[in-house]
Amino acid sequence: MVGLNKNILRTILIISYIMVIAFIISGVSALFSYLNTGADRSSMLHTEIQKVEQYTPKLTWEPLQNEGRPMDNENLNALQNDYLDAWYVKQIAYKSNKTAGIKDYYTDSARKNLYDFISLNKSKNISIEATTLNHNPTLEFFSEDGQLAVVTDRNVVEYKRIFKAEKLILETTETSTYKMVFLLEDGFWRIRHLVKEESKPYHFEAKTIATDNINIKGINYYPQANPWDMFGDDFSTKTIAKDFKIIKDAGLNSVRIFVQYEDFGKANVKPEKLEKLKQTLDLAEAVHLKVVLTLFDFYGDYSVMDWTLNQRHAEIIVSTFKDHNAIIAWDIKNEPNLDFESRGKANVVAWLDHMIDIVKSIDSHHPVTIGWSNTQSAPILKDKVDIVSFHYYEDLEQLDTAIKTLKTEIPNKPLVLQEFGISSYSGFWKPHGSSEEDQANYHKKIQELIAANNLQFMSWTLYDFTYIPKEVVGRLPWRKNAQKHFGFIDKNGAKKESFKYISN
Amino acid sequence: MPIKHTYLFLLGLILLSSFAVKQQNEGSRIKLITTQTQYEVGNPIVLKFSTSNGEQPLLYCSNSFGSTLISGVLNSKTLEYTFPEHITKKTGVVNWILTDKTTSIKGSFNIKPKAEVATMETYIGPPSIEAGGTDYTMLVIIPTDSLDNPVPTNTLVTEKHQFLDSEETNAIYTNNLIAFRNIYSKKESGRMLVSSESLGINSKEFTINVASAIPTDFNISATRPHQYADGNQVTTFTTSIITDKQKNVVSDGTFVTFYITNKNQNILKTTGTTIDGIAQAKIIHPDYEDTWRIKAYVDGMSESDNITLTYKQVIEDFDILFSNKNRTITVGPLHSFMGQMIPDGLHVTLNIYRDQVLIDSIIKTSFNGYVNFNLKHAMYQNGDYNFSIKTAGKTKKINTKTLW
Repeated sequence: MVGLNKNILRTILIISYIMVIAFIISGVSALFSYLNTGADRSSMLHTEIQKVEQYTPKLTWEPLQNEGRPMDNENLNALQNDYLDAWYVKQIAYKSNKTAGIKDYYTDSARKNLYDFISLNKSKNISIEATTLNHNPTLEFFSEDGQLAVVTDRNVVEYKRIFKAEKLILETTETSTYKMVFLLEDGFWRIRHLVKEESKPYHFEAKTIATDNINIKGINYYPQANPWDMFGDDFSTKTIAKDFKIIKDAGLNSVRIFVQYEDFGKANVKPEKLEKLKQTLDLAEAVHLKVVLTLFDFYGDYSVMDWTLNQRHAEIIVSTFKDHNAIIAWDIKNEPNLDFESRGKANVVAWLDHMIDIVKSIDSHHPVTIGWSNTQSAPILKDKVDIVSFHYYEDLEQLDTAIKTLKTEIPNKPLVLQEFGISSYSGFWKPHGSSEEDQANYHKKIQELIAANNLQFMSWTLYDFTYIPKEVVGRLPWRKNAQKHFGFIDKNGAKKESFKYISN
Repeated sequence: MPIKHTYLFLLGLILLSSFAVKQQNEGSRIKLITTQTQYEVGNPIVLKFSTSNGEQPLLYCSNSFGSTLISGVLNSKTLEYTFPEHITKKTGVVNWILTDKTTSIKGSFNIKPKAEVATMETYIGPPSIEAGGTDYTMLVIIPTDSLDNPVPTNTLVTEKHQFLDSEETNAIYTNNLIAFRNIYSKKESGRMLVSSESLGINSKEFTINVASAIPTDFNISATRPHQYADGNQVTTFTTSIITDKQKNVVSDGTFVTFYITNKNQNILKTTGTTIDGIAQAKIIHPDYEDTWRIKAYVDGMSESDNITLTYKQVIEDFDILFSNKNRTITVGPLHSFMGQMIPDGLHVTLNIYRDQVLIDSIIKTSFNGYVNFNLKHAMYQNGDYNFSIKTAGKTKKINTKTLW
């Protein structure tokens, strides 16, 4: 019996040993094969080209009439890429006072000059945020062996902000002409000589745009189902057509529509988004509604290195639709003054200032405005905009005075009360909120004030919404719920009392 | 309406303060004293301003390469801004802005290049061009001063080059920071030496290789030890001296391909590269009577005339001996043109048929004028076979031999 037991014990031991080993091996091999999955051959070699557009100032080559060898497109493209990269690394270097990247785009002797500036600025704690907004290069010369080129870049618009010890000392925009010699070294077109031949303060002469025949009686529009995401997957021409008809029938003549910067693809605006926007504008035109198009919704960076990308975005949208009959005005940005605190007022205003210039340089017929969130900010850039727009959500008692003050400050430009309204929400999150009757009274009263002051207006908004993205008013339920009830039409499609006072 | 009053009060204040600012503007407190707006590169630059208060604002300035801020020194109501050396060392426009609390004045001055050359930065290319007077190389010179600035526009640069017994100099002038000239080849090939000079400073010597142009048509010839098709001797093809249309000998190493078409219209190829314009290529004689037509090409560029070579048959007949139960077949003696034994290595092919079907083909080469085939018992069973033996283009048939 003892012998048998021992044998059973041995067998069990051996079997369990084998099982443990088998388990460990299968575990290790499973882990090993897991770690080996996922790498397919195409990604293994990293052959994909990862080019991120970071610097896209407007660049227009003069017609090619260079001396030497005739230029071809491939070489010109390579030269242009490296030239813009040279500017980009220079801007980054002067901002950070670090030399990274310089050596790729400047030859040995040229980069010394940049290093001199960097070490001086570093020692004195000076940093420079700069960008270029416009280039008009002329190819002067291209050598027979394709290794040397001379370019004159005329009227380079350079915007600079100079800081000392983190404090803004100066903000300046200059128009300069540079002449440079490029050498093709190690596959890079590098700057060998760089001479500034001319420099004068930047001055953009915008044509005056007639605003006499503009009389906006409108409303801010988002579809009921997909507010703040109008051009997303739920885009529906049927809904928009129906809503535009309601607006038109209510006696209004215009709508304000928002173009989301990121949703539209930033600097490379997506064609499908443009198509949806075109359909929307066509629908507006069909019912004789005019559109105030607000650009850069949900954009809030304004950093100088971002400008060229922003400008390409604006350029594409404005140049695509500048001849569309439905467009009545370009609204550069919604409530930019709310970003003053977080991004710096100077930064935001300079961004707006140059954005107005780029829009006006493309479209010299449609007026430009900025949707300031209050009357106090409205005079900012009043000489640059053609229409002064402001929003008013404060006490109606003060409105009359505020408008009068504004009119003394801006006597010669049309004023548009571009957003106003009141939430009819009264409930758990806001027990003493306004009722639909209060809302109707508000609109009645404000329309009287608008008429008395001869203002143009765009109310907020057609519909009560059921979903508010967190980017609009944050996550707090009392804000979200209030924001849901600003409409003239409730979520079930019934006209609220206030609808009577949608227009004057 | 207390609010109204507050607004009016505020408005009044704003208006008042703007007046105050305006008054200060009128009596601008900082003024530029320096009148010079042209400086020569390398000289120290100091901008002087008169000031009535003790403020010392920072002066912003920007040159070709970058921007910075300069602190001033106050010297009894004169503010002095000394520009850093690396700004005064580079030519071009320098613009500046001086902003104090109330005023902002801006201006610019020009730093002119010196009429001095320290280095002749020279780029020349392509380094190899074609003779004939149509191809050219381009010389690009960037004369720079001791501070690495390009010299003024319209500075004289003398371009010099030597080729064979001609030496030329040409005056060119800088424009767009550079001076350039196309140097054309002449009819002859050779080496061209190029240099340049400006304001007494000479560049290095640069060499341009003027290669001959594309080859023109040429002739070929053949030499051979004898005219017999013995499959052993070697025929050598030689081109005439290949030249371009200017009679320049083509570059060594020009690749020549000889195409040989035999009487069966098969193409044989042999190649050679030129040395001093002559290319040679070799090929072994055929082992049977043949007529070759030969033509040579420099691929894509030129070709030769046609030549024809005839090779005479050397083996008119040969003996076949069966022995060892007919399992050993001895071919030979194989005699060459003078009756001598054919040199080793002549191909002899034995085809073995059984019932009119080819069952095997054995190739052997001759040794001492003979070839022996041994048909092994294991592979070729007893029975009747037909044979054919082929060598030097001749075929002999032996019908119904019994292996046993």
